[in-house]
Amino acid sequence: MSGTLHRIRLVAAREFLVTVSSKGFLFGVLIMPIVGFAVAMLIPKIMAQRGAQVNVEVALIDQSTVVAGPLQAELEPAAILARRAAGRRAAVQQAAPGVSASDAARMPNPVPEQPVPAFTIRELEAGTSVDSQKSWLTAPSEDKRVRRALVVVPVDAATRASGQADYGSYELYAPRNLTEDAEGALHEALRQALTVVRLRADGLDPQLVQAATRIARPRTVLVSPDGRQQGAQGLNRALPFIMGIMLFMGVMIGGQSLMTSTIEEKSSRVVEVLLAAVSPLELMWGKLLGQLGVGLVSMTIYVSLGVLALLQFALIGLLDPMLILYLLVFFLLAYLVFGALMQAIGAAVSQMADAQSLMGPIMILLIIPYVLTPIIGRAPDSAIAVVTSFIPPVNSFVMLARLASSSPPPVWQVLLSIAAGIAGAFIAVWFASKVFRIGLLMHGKPPSFATLVKWARMS
Amino acid sequence: MQAALKLQGVEKSFGAQRAVSALDLAIPKGETCGLIGPSGAGKTTSIRLIMSILFPDAGKVEVLGLPSALDAKDRIGYLPEERGVYRKMKVGAFLRYLAGLKGAAESDAGPRAKELLEKLGLEGVLDKKCEDLSKGMLQRVQFVGSIVHRPELLILDEPFSGLDPVSVRLLKDVITAERRRGTTILFSTHVMAQAEELCDRVVMINRGRKVLDESMSSLRRRFDPTRVLFEPLDADAPLDGLRDIPGVQSVQRREGEAELRLFPGTDPSAVIRAAAAVVVPARIEIARVRLEDVFVGMVRSEAAGDESEAALREHLQGLGGEKA
Repeated sequence: MSGTLHRIRLVAAREFLVTVSSKGFLFGVLIMPIVGFAVAMLIPKIMAQRGAQVNVEVALIDQSTVVAGPLQAELEPAAILARRAAGRRAAVQQAAPGVSASDAARMPNPVPEQPVPAFTIRELEAGTSVDSQKSWLTAPSEDKRVRRALVVVPVDAATRASGQADYGSYELYAPRNLTEDAEGALHEALRQALTVVRLRADGLDPQLVQAATRIARPRTVLVSPDGRQQGAQGLNRALPFIMGIMLFMGVMIGGQSLMTSTIEEKSSRVVEVLLAAVSPLELMWGKLLGQLGVGLVSMTIYVSLGVLALLQFALIGLLDPMLILYLLVFFLLAYLVFGALMQAIGAAVSQMADAQSLMGPIMILLIIPYVLTPIIGRAPDSAIAVVTSFIPPVNSFVMLARLASSSPPPVWQVLLSIAAGIAGAFIAVWFASKVFRIGLLMHGKPPSFATLVKWARMS
Repeated sequence: MQAALKLQGVEKSFGAQRAVSALDLAIPKGETCGLIGPSGAGKTTSIRLIMSILFPDAGKVEVLGLPSALDAKDRIGYLPEERGVYRKMKVGAFLRYLAGLKGAAESDAGPRAKELLEKLGLEGVLDKKCEDLSKGMLQRVQFVGSIVHRPELLILDEPFSGLDPVSVRLLKDVITAERRRGTTILFSTHVMAQAEELCDRVVMINRGRKVLDESMSSLRRRFDPTRVLFEPLDADAPLDGLRDIPGVQSVQRREGEAELRLFPGTDPSAVIRAAAAVVVPARIEIARVRLEDVFVGMVRSEAAGDESEAALREHLQGLGGEKA
């Protein structure tokens, strides 16, 4: 017995060390997230690098006659910058409630500051028709940086027509080349200018109204019967999906290399040498445990990266440490089921290409629950979510998503799901051990799933 | 004497094809046994059955006194026919890994692997990756892998195939050294000369059946020297006088030499002396029994009229020049 454990330990250690020190692992586990992160950081920068400062000539047909002045003021560069800063603060508070306005203002801005467009207003006669300006709007300009726009402000946009509850609105005409940034700034300035005009018309102080309507959004404090406070809703909504990704990546990294290394051992014929030293079961368990270590290492890396990111933004308090423990437990169960099946496939085929067709059903079982995690996280108590949390192999994903959701399931359901997972792992490992033993020395035509089941029943 | 290896009525079929039928075998401890036969005779299948890599449909296998090789894995060394290594692993690490799986101590396995590699002309490969080695080198590395843990029973499936003559020589020396250590050795080959050189005992199988199981010395006795080969110094010298020597039954001329068949019971030394007196010889020798001849004879009588016989004979003729 100690000999068996000794051999399993040796096989596992080799499997772990070889995989962890391979270039593929370094690339897959370490470099991919870094590349992914870099791309995520770069894309907004590339998108934002739309161009240099633009000069926008705005032709204004101000039928109300009162908007031109306030609009001029709102289009000043300082006013545009102030509005941008306020918008960013609101976005941060929306994503992470509880962060104070001053903290939000100090946070680094991932998007580089766009140059502020320079607006010049040319007022036209109130009766000018839009059609008569079309040629001016679309005429190619000599200066590449000059853009044009036409704004029409009807009377009822500034003053309410008698008997009407609502105001009218303005119209904006622009050629294709008006930048998104300038267009946004113009809309925003018009909105502000019209608000000012409307409030003044009713004898109200626009600054007072602005101050009165500005309310910082606080963190929602959830209260459960045991009095525990839970994290911010913003992060909590993403948590089921994040857990799904972690589980999926851990299982895929471990399972995939389990399959490739088994195929390699088989096709390089080293397996016969190994079988003279270890039993098929010892070999299988050794490899399974070795790659479990690989999966755990990669998950540890991802979890620590995530925790580091939370620390960076002082949001660590929002993560329940129990969730990391649950992630570990359900990873173990999901890995044993999927890892064993993928290993069985590796043992059954002679080359990677033959494995693809057998991998299809496994991948579907792996991807569907993973994709569904955000939906389960939103409806954690739906009948289908409850039922599938007891059905291996999808139970790990479903239960983890429910645990990460805002409405965690009762303890008995968690325990039942773990028990179901253990049963599923047993069956999968049993099936794999049968297929493994027969498949290892079998070469030639790749078997179908039906053949694998026959092997399992046969031995 | 206790048998290191014992097979009783072992049978194995793959589908409709019978690979091994009614195989009985007993190899005493310390003996070196050659398993010979043409390709596809069932040698590899027999060895896999012994190693419990395959399981017999019927019959019993006993290895080192235990009911299965699985129970005695650590005491067996095995070189499979299909060579395989971990391509990305270093030679030293690979050998230590195999020795570790066989329960050998790391402190012993390292130096022994190094020593064995040097004996096989592979100095300095310990730190090379397996994929950087040639096929012949890998085969020697694998051979080291099969004996690094000092097994009591060594099973080698075609250990010499694909090796150059120098490597074959080195390998034979190491096998001989293992034999002196008291290891029981079973090796398969389709080159009869190798079996002749190394074995105490020879087992021949053909088409899954054992056709011969005899010690080399008994074989030599049984197939009495009844032929003398005579090569005259002058190739054109008349050889008629040889026929009149007492005890000579017939003389057959072949290119450059004559084969003298003797009556059973004749003393060959008297014939040799007499022949040298009749014609000046360049070379006179007693034609030793060759396994090849025995084998062809066996197979011929066994499978008379069988279509595979021609193929077999052709195969053996092809092997005639393959003396290593």
